[in-house]
Amino acid sequence: MSTEPIGLARDLAPKGVMRAQIGHTDIAIWRSTNGVVSAWENRCPHRGMRLSHGFVRGESLACAYHGWHYDCSGKCHYIPAHPELEPPSTIRPSIYSVVEQAGILWVNTIADADPVTLPKDLLSIRSITLACDLPTAIDSFSSAAQTEVSLFNGSVSVFSQQPSILSLSSPDGADGIFILFQQPYPHRVVAHVLANNLYQANDLIALSRWCESVRRAAEQNTQSSNAPASSL
Amino acid sequence: MSGYEHALKYWYPIAMANELAEGQTKHTQLLGNDIVLCGNNRGSADVRTAGKPLLVQSDYGHVWTTLSDDPHPLFSIPEASEHGRRFVPCGVVRVSCSPLRAVENFLDIAHFPFVHTGILGSEPHTEVYKYDVNIDETADEVFATNIKFFQPQASKSAEGGIETEYIYRVPAPMAAVLYKTCPPKPEYLDVIALFVQPLDEETCDVWPWMALYDDTSSMADLIQFQQLIFVQDRSILENQMPRRLPIDPGHEIPTKADLTSIAYRRWLKKRGAYYGAFEGI
Repeated sequence: MSTEPIGLARDLAPKGVMRAQIGHTDIAIWRSTNGVVSAWENRCPHRGMRLSHGFVRGESLACAYHGWHYDCSGKCHYIPAHPELEPPSTIRPSIYSVVEQAGILWVNTIADADPVTLPKDLLSIRSITLACDLPTAIDSFSSAAQTEVSLFNGSVSVFSQQPSILSLSSPDGADGIFILFQQPYPHRVVAHVLANNLYQANDLIALSRWCESVRRAAEQNTQSSNAPASSL
Repeated sequence: MSGYEHALKYWYPIAMANELAEGQTKHTQLLGNDIVLCGNNRGSADVRTAGKPLLVQSDYGHVWTTLSDDPHPLFSIPEASEHGRRFVPCGVVRVSCSPLRAVENFLDIAHFPFVHTGILGSEPHTEVYKYDVNIDETADEVFATNIKFFQPQASKSAEGGIETEYIYRVPAPMAAVLYKTCPPKPEYLDVIALFVQPLDEETCDVWPWMALYDDTSSMADLIQFQQLIFVQDRSILENQMPRRLPIDPGHEIPTKADLTSIAYRRWLKKRGAYYGAFEGI
């Protein structure tokens, strides 16, 4: 499994907790009050509660069920039902490698996270979730970009295969927009959209709306191709 | 005997008493089987699965049925016939979790400050003091006694925080009865029972029922109080992985506060009550 882009770093504020999925691995990602990001198996070892429902206190993530506190290394250091107890060091969820680069949170559940190198100074625009499979999502953005002349010059290239990243050229011919795809589940794709800093505010608003229109088209294509023949 | 065959021998709640008007039908499930109820003129219902009539009894405010022709008798709750108590069926909460997870959560006190914050618990009163758990060999039930916990709003009738005493009883794999300090009458114990209807191994309908000393709260307020508690619990129960209850040690890590849960899992295992249990590695 490659290093996957699971979210925009901007969307995970200090004390925030997110959930992601890579393959069959359910992941909790959280940022401590001081800004340290951690990505863990999404399951409290005590009673199996998803840690993505937990809450951050200082430099700890606490489970929503019984408040067990885990520090940034994953070690459980406080069990509220037994305030005097020093918890055994074996109580910890599995830890995954996570890095922030180019405004993206990159996670690898097997090895050290090794992100694709993107150009500097990209703006994080948004993440958008599409109810379709990965080829449909990529095709939809790719074909829509070729006819959207006010934002792009029609040139679309594959920047990376694994993970899937499209590069769309801006009207001046530069690498304008990057769209990073991640598929958490079958028929569910998250697209993270980054733009170079030459776009104006109005263009970025138009870009965000364009992403919505691509999502609708992709989901409609998926629905009509899944519909039984009699309803066509 | 499989977990399913074991589970067939018990009674389960499938409706509240007087829920169905005469002739009114309702469809539900029990252990993966489709069940049809038809209200009769006795406040109960005629119950069938695949056309076959099933045994029915009315007790503790509910209509109970069983898929067995020779079931274990329904457990006894002596307080259900005590004068002066108000009997409060609280409706139903559907939860996407194993019926065993629902029972185990009901037996847990350490979550009160975090899940029922400001009601059944609050920080910094999080410590679970030593308590006792026994298997009553005669009745073959799990008992947890000598539990004390600080509660900001122990019940609808409570005025301010009190140290509440708890006794838990597990009379059947999918039922639990709680006895707790009655705030207006500290010398008495309120009874709150959790009757679980297993729709299948990963979905259940939970029917709370209470027998309280409370002459002032309205029925609606009493029910709303319990519904709030169970909806809070549902947010936990639907996010525990795996959905089925791991019965073998090693998959989850308990502490001393979990003695009741440990005893419950052992008791389930000993009797082969594997319906809703996680049997993976």
